[in-house]
Order: sequence, then structure tokens, then C-alpha cells
Amino acid sequence: MKVSANWLKDFVTLNPPFEKIAEDLTLAGLEVKKVEPVPGQKDHLFEIEITSNRPDWLSHIGVAREIAAAQNLSFKAPEMPKVPNRPMPQGWKINLKDQEACPYYTGVYIEGVQNLATPDFMKDRLAACGIRSISLIVDITNYVLLETGQPLHAFDADLLSGQEIQVRRAKAEEKFTAINGQAYPLASHDLVIGDSEKAVALAGVMGGKDTEVSARTRNIFLESAFFHPRFVRHTSRRLNLSSDSSYRFERRVDPEGVDYGRERAIALIEKYAKPRFISAVVKAGQKPVLAKPVIHLSVQETVKKLGAPLKQHQILSILNRLGFDSKQDSAESVKVHIPSFRADVTEPVDLIEEVARIYGFENIPETLPVRAPAGVSQSPLYRLEEDARNYCAAAGCYETVTFSLISTHGLDAEKELAQAVGVNNPQNQELSWMRPFFWPSFCQVIQKNLSWGAQRIPVFEIANLYHWNAAKKSITEQRWLGIALAGKFREKSWLDSERNYSFYDLKGILSGWLEHAGAEEVCFREIEKSFLINPGAETITVNGEVCGYVGEIHPRKLKHWDVNVPVYFAEVCLENVLTAVSQKRIFAEIPKYPSITRDLSVTVADSVNSGVIEEEIKKLGKGIVTHVELFDLFRGGRVPKGYKNLAYRVIYQSLEKTLLSEDIQKVHSGIAARIVEKYQASFQ
Amino acid sequence: MGQAGSGLSLFSLMTSIPEIEKEAQKELGLVKTAQDLEAFRVAYLGKKGRITGLMEHLKGLDGEAKKQFGIEVNRLKQSVQEAIQSKKETFEDSLPAREVFDPTLAPVLPQTGKIHPITQTIQEIVRIFDRLGFEMVQGPEIETEFYNFTALNIPLDHPSRDGFDTFYTKQGQHLLRSQTSTVQIRVMQQRKPPLRVIAPGRVYRPDAVDASHSFMFHQIEGLMVDEDVTFSDLKGVLHLFLKELFGSDTKLRFRPHYFPFTEPSMEVDIRWGKKGWLEILGAGTVHPNVFKQAGYDSKRLQGFAFGLGIERMAMLRHQIPDIRHFYDNDLRFLRQFS
Repeated sequence: MKVSANWLKDFVTLNPPFEKIAEDLTLAGLEVKKVEPVPGQKDHLFEIEITSNRPDWLSHIGVAREIAAAQNLSFKAPEMPKVPNRPMPQGWKINLKDQEACPYYTGVYIEGVQNLATPDFMKDRLAACGIRSISLIVDITNYVLLETGQPLHAFDADLLSGQEIQVRRAKAEEKFTAINGQAYPLASHDLVIGDSEKAVALAGVMGGKDTEVSARTRNIFLESAFFHPRFVRHTSRRLNLSSDSSYRFERRVDPEGVDYGRERAIALIEKYAKPRFISAVVKAGQKPVLAKPVIHLSVQETVKKLGAPLKQHQILSILNRLGFDSKQDSAESVKVHIPSFRADVTEPVDLIEEVARIYGFENIPETLPVRAPAGVSQSPLYRLEEDARNYCAAAGCYETVTFSLISTHGLDAEKELAQAVGVNNPQNQELSWMRPFFWPSFCQVIQKNLSWGAQRIPVFEIANLYHWNAAKKSITEQRWLGIALAGKFREKSWLDSERNYSFYDLKGILSGWLEHAGAEEVCFREIEKSFLINPGAETITVNGEVCGYVGEIHPRKLKHWDVNVPVYFAEVCLENVLTAVSQKRIFAEIPKYPSITRDLSVTVADSVNSGVIEEEIKKLGKGIVTHVELFDLFRGGRVPKGYKNLAYRVIYQSLEKTLLSEDIQKVHSGIAARIVEKYQASFQ
Repeated sequence: MGQAGSGLSLFSLMTSIPEIEKEAQKELGLVKTAQDLEAFRVAYLGKKGRITGLMEHLKGLDGEAKKQFGIEVNRLKQSVQEAIQSKKETFEDSLPAREVFDPTLAPVLPQTGKIHPITQTIQEIVRIFDRLGFEMVQGPEIETEFYNFTALNIPLDHPSRDGFDTFYTKQGQHLLRSQTSTVQIRVMQQRKPPLRVIAPGRVYRPDAVDASHSFMFHQIEGLMVDEDVTFSDLKGVLHLFLKELFGSDTKLRFRPHYFPFTEPSMEVDIRWGKKGWLEILGAGTVHPNVFKQAGYDSKRLQGFAFGLGIERMAMLRHQIPDIRHFYDNDLRFLRQFS
């Protein structure tokens, strides 16, 4: 809000420099964004940001009161003009049909206004505040709004049908053309002001085009009312139509200001528009009153909450300066009358805040909590997450932060988003799903980095994934680790040759991390995923619990992101891993006796998976074979087409004795024979 | 053969010792390789070596002569052995002959990744509060109106909800949390006081994206509840935290503000060079209504809460001019931070 220094001076003495006033206001909670001279005028303008709880600051009177309180100056409170006995207007009446939406409605009929020039001081002050001068009557209503915070509306009385002002809800299919020339369809929740035929104003939001005052206007009906914040807000939001009036009504105007604002406007009209006749006030309804007009504030509680050594007299002084009529209640308590413009103050803590901000936050000491912390535990999930993050970074991957909201781009929405949580009002129409997986986000990151020429794109992210369970009508939100590897594992260097990332690098990172996290057994089992190459995708099972999956993203999917390199992808649910792994690390006896290493080389059909043979060796050598590792894979040469040669390193170890060749020869030949038999293998 | 040497006089035998010793030293000085050293050893100490030969003469001597010569020849043998051993060690310290070594060839770096600057900033803040006894907790991002608004003293249809424009979900009565303050309520419902927690996480607001706004960003929420926690404690804790994060000469300003869930409420500004005061976080004393909603005794308990934007902190710390860098995940950006 823009506030003119000259205008403020009507209510409080301003002691320059203005920058000091601005700072004092800011430190009292009325944030002054800037203060600068008004071009061409001997005036200064404060640009103030007002929090939504303080509608009383949306006026020059309110800001002046705050300056007086903050700087301990006297506030020249505006006085209600003396209202002479005026005659009741012939025929004018108010039909208030909805007292909830409009508790209090008043108006006066004014006859024979002259369309004279707006006085210079008024024009200048309005201009300083960014309001263009329109006509004397409109300028006066705007002037009163900025001065008192009470919005007013003047109808051209000759353009109203009949003399009954209705305050009612809109009728079905009713339409309304506002002063801005726009036509709005109304809804039954909207409160309107109507004449005998039609809606002539959207209550508290905007007047109607048809009854607008103009240069030809001679007779007016001046409205001053209290509209309920909720109704004004609802209509304003629904129609996306806001005004200086709606802004104030939404935040709640001062009920006493309804009468004061009206009388202030009448006084100005009388003085500058020289009307022939001003009627008595026609009114309906009751001014809303505060639920708790008196609050008792404990001095002890104030001191205890703030940790500041405040005295009762200081509290009384501050509250009285702010317009709270306050008196000593007892040695320990203060009785505070809440003024009508402070509906935001409903309990003692609200008053404590008032005391604190005028006392000055900077004057409250800085201390540290005296009591010891309740505990020193660390969330095990957070620890797992930190370990996963460090492991992935050490394994060469870059952590990304991508949006949790995704579009349907590249997705078969019906299948792949069947269990996704949708967003009703996306900021960007495309991003309307809470992602149930990471891969589309990673594809985008990979595309972006490929586009500038990145060769090596290993990425990971730890974030929540979201799933909708239609049967249970519930949303699951869990912490997941996602990894994607694309491009080169290693670029060519003077020492090493280049190598691309492979599926096995990703499984290596996963196995390595899971072992590090405390997994005793990590298994991979074939599954199908619509966005992965099948067969080839696998689930990840940790100590019997399914924790995630790994695979290669299907090129059919990748082409949506113009990604033309293989992308290996995995995601793992951290919460599942946490329940599956053991947090304890138990010492295992280090073997006292040497182990024996034997190679086992077999030729099998391409269709036989290496992992199956590895499992078989482990199974057959149970108790004596401690490690099996594929160290060579060979095709071509003497190996027939359609076959491959697999060479395993098998380690035999006993905890009881030094194994001799004879001890293991039988087992080793037995394993070999069994594999030959079971997988139609041959030795090479 | 022993007797055959008896012809040599003790005198000539004794004089041959320093001669042999001198020659051995000279020859050893010329030895350059391990093979040469072995040849040298054989020449002096081998079966037919010169010193071995001298030892043979001991058999032909008696009495004092045998003793005198024995001492000398043994001394010679020992000294040559030691010389050979020390020469041998010089060979073992160096490596076998190889090509010309160029130590300036490019080092081969391990291929490591980086942790995202957003996460790093969260970690830094969590670490600071960890030292003050605050435990890290997390809450869901898909929330209900109760946790995001009602329990935080933000009534329906109140203008204070303006500042918290919100995404709503298609399924169920849910929304995407617009602030991490939701975690306050969840923690209070689950645990008994006293409490010291810190809750980082993603939040969502339907803002248009520009250099300083995004519809998804990160916040961190802090909450402390006990019987005697004061507003002055809040000031002290925040000052300690911000000095730790931004340096010990950090200047702060505590400015009254409005949040529905705290009272008194404030915004904290930090003095930032030529830019002047920058708003850095929001904080306040927990509103009694929030305690009531969470089932805490609002008469007995006091507490404070604070919330801050992670992106803003990271942008200030690293002088990042545009918030969109964080979500672009350009590796040329990501690898700058560690």
C-alpha cells in the first residue's frame, strides 16, 4: 500500500528523516519497502507491505496510529463529525435479506450534487497513492477509503429502478456488468446489491456499469456497509475480480468505520460538491461486535513467554498507545478493552505479541535453552539415506533434484499411471502427476546433458515416490533411491581404454551398496516392466524382501526424449531395505587355514544364464565353497556358434583344517559332473 | 690342499688381507646391477672365492699365528659381507630397469560423483542443529487440509490462506503440503514433550517459475517444545545457527511479522553486503491453538518454531543467480559443489 506523508500529518507529527520512520515501522512489523519523494509534490511516499492479519493498517489513520505508538508520539484521533438532524429521505428504504453476508448496511440519499473540480490537495494525495482522479464524488469515496479504510459506493440515484435497495443473494442465471465493462455470470453464493429490477453492485467487490456516477449525475445514493469477509472473498476469487474495496472487506473492515467513513464522506461532499439536500441515514442490520471485547493479560505470563524483563507500566503504556484502552487490574494483571478495529486480537497471546513488537524485538535478550535435549537418537531411515547417497556419489553418480510432478510425456498413461496420484490444479498443465517412478525424470536429465555433449551421465536421486491404492483408497508415499547410468563408464585415457556403462555396473553399485547397508543376501529375479527391455529386467530382493528392480529402459521409451544411448535404471525402496537389513555388524571368525582356488570352465548353450550355474556351484559346494565368481566369458574360436564358455573361480575354505588337493578334488569333480549333466555342458 | 698353502709365510698372508680388502672395495664400487653384485660375491665369498681361499690357509697354521690370522680374515669376511648386504639394499630400494618415466602424465582420477547442493545445504543445517540436540524427522508431502491448514491455526476461507496457494490431488481429500510446518503437528501427535526436531523436505506451491520462484522447492522446519522455552531462546538459537552457517560476523535483524501458527511471529533478515537486509527465515513462538490442535497442554507448554527456504540459503552461500539451476541438473552445474 502507498501511504502519503502529508496525509499522515493530519493525524500524527512526522519527525524527519523519513528513513527513520520507515525503519521504526519496519521493526514494529509494518514493513516499509521503500520511502521516496513524490515527483512534483512536496510529499513523501511510503510503500508498505501489510500482513493479512492487520486490515486496520490499510488506511492512513491506521498507519498514523502505528507511527504514534512506535515513536511514542501523540495520535490525533479523528473525531466523528457532528451529525445534524437530517430529514428522512422520501421513499428510500433498505431491504436486507441476508444478515449473515451483510450484518450492517447504511446509506444516504444526496440530491443536487454539483460536478465541481476535485480540490488540489485531494487530487495530489490520491495521485501520490496511485489513484487517478475521475470525478469529485468518486474521488471523495476513494479518498475516504484510503484515509479510513472504509470502502464506500455511490450509485447514480436517477439510474436506479425504484427506491428500494435490496441486499440479497444473486438469482439463478443472473448476470451483472461491472464498472470495468466486464459481464459476470453470478452464482447463488454471491451477495449483490439490487434495485427493483436487477443487480446494481457485487457487494463489496465492484459497482455496476448501469448505475455508475458520471459527470451528469445530480443525485446519488451513498452506500457504506459491513460485508462479511467470507462472502466478498468467495465472489472475488471465483470471478477473479478484486478491488481496493474487496481487498479490505475480505480482511474485515472496522464496524465503527462504517458510520465514520460515511459521515467523513458526507462532510467532504457537503463542502466540495455543494449538494442541495442530504438525507438522514437509512440503515439495516447491526454492527458486528467482538466476541471478547475485554481480555485480561498477565504480566508474569508476558515475561515468561518473551524472556524479557517487562514491567506492568511498560505494558500499559504500549497497549494504550496502540489504541487498546488498558488499566491495571491487579498487581499482576492488566485489563484490556479491544477496539472495534482489532478483531485480530482474541486472546492474551495476541496482546503479548503487541507488547513485544512495540517494546522492540531487538530489545528482547538472546538466550539459549537451559534444559538438556530429550534424546540424541538419529532416524535410522535418514542414516540409511545418507549412506546410500555417499555410496552412490563415491561410485561415480551425481545426485539430482528433479520435480516430483511429471507429465504424461513418453508414458502410457492408462497403464503406467494407473496407480499414480494426480494433481487437480497443476501450475503447468503438463505436470499433473505425482511420480510413481523416477525414470521419466532421469530421461529428461540425460537428454539435457547429452545435448551439451556430456559423455558420462550417471545420476541418482533420493526422494519420495507416490502410489494410489484404489482398493484401499489410500496414498502410499515412501522414500526411494533411483539410479540411472548412461553413456561411458570411462572415457579413453592415456592409460585405460574407454568402456560404456553396462547393466552389470548398475547391479554392481546396487549389490555393493546393499552389502554395505547390511544385506546378507541380495537376489535378482526376472520380472517384466512395460518401460524396460524384457526379458532382462529383474527384481531386487534383500534377505527375502522385494525392495526394487533394475533393468534397461526400452528404446521405444527413450526416443521420446531423443536419448539414443542405452540407459540402465534401478529404483529401490529405502524403507523396505531398512526393514530387510540388519543394523548390527557381528564379527565373523577370520579363517586360520589357507583356502584353495580352483577354476571351473564350462561351455553351455547361450540360453543358459550364468547366474544359474553360479547358484548351482554354490548349492553343490555348500559348506566348503565360500566364493564363486565368473572371471571369463568367451564366445567364438573353438566354442561352437550358439554356445559360450564360462570360467568360474571357485574358492574352497575350511574353518577346521588346511584343505589338501585330495580333500576338494572329489567335490570339485562332482560339481563339474553335475553341471555337465544338468545343463548339457561340456568342458573346454 | 690345506698343507699345500703352508708354504706361504704368515707375513705374506697378513699383508694380503688389506690388499684384498682394498681391491674388494674398488670392485664393489663399480658394481651397478644385482647380477654384477652376485658375481662379486662369488668372486670373494664363493666356494672358490678369494676370501674363502684365504680361510683355507688357517688349517696350515698353529697357535698364535692361527689365532692372529683367524681374527683378521674373519674381520675381512664380515666387512665384505656387510658391504655386499648394504649394496644389495640399494638395489632393492629401486625398481628393475624400465622405460623413461614421465611423472607429469595426466593423473588418473577416480570417477566420483557429487551430492546435490540442495542436499549439501540441508546436511549442513541438519548438522548444526544436531549439535544443538535437534533430531531430524520427516513427514509426508501429500497431506490433508488438517495438517497443512487447520491444525496450524489457518481457518478455511481466511485471507491468510492466500499466501499458501495449494495443489490439490485428484484422489482423496489430499493436497501437496505448501510448507514443512505440517511436520510440527505430526511430531507432536506422535511424541510427548519435550521436543527438539528439525524437518527438511519438499514443498509445493502453484507459483509461476522464474529466477527466484519454483512450484516445488525445499524448506526446513524447526520445532522446540518444553515448559520454559522463551522467545529470547528462539532469538539465541537462530543467531547461533545463522552465525554458524554464514560466518561469525553475521548481522541479523528480527522483524515482527505474521504467521497464523506462531505468535509473536517474526522474519529474520541478514545483512548482505550491498544488497542490504535480506529476509532469510520466518519464526515465532508456537501459537496456543497449534498446541491445542496437536493435543498438547497449551497452558503448561511453550515452544518455538522456525522455517526457512533451502534454495534461498544455497543461492546465497554459493552465489547462484537462478533457482532453475537446481532442477536442471546440468552436470556442469552439479560438479561445482562439494
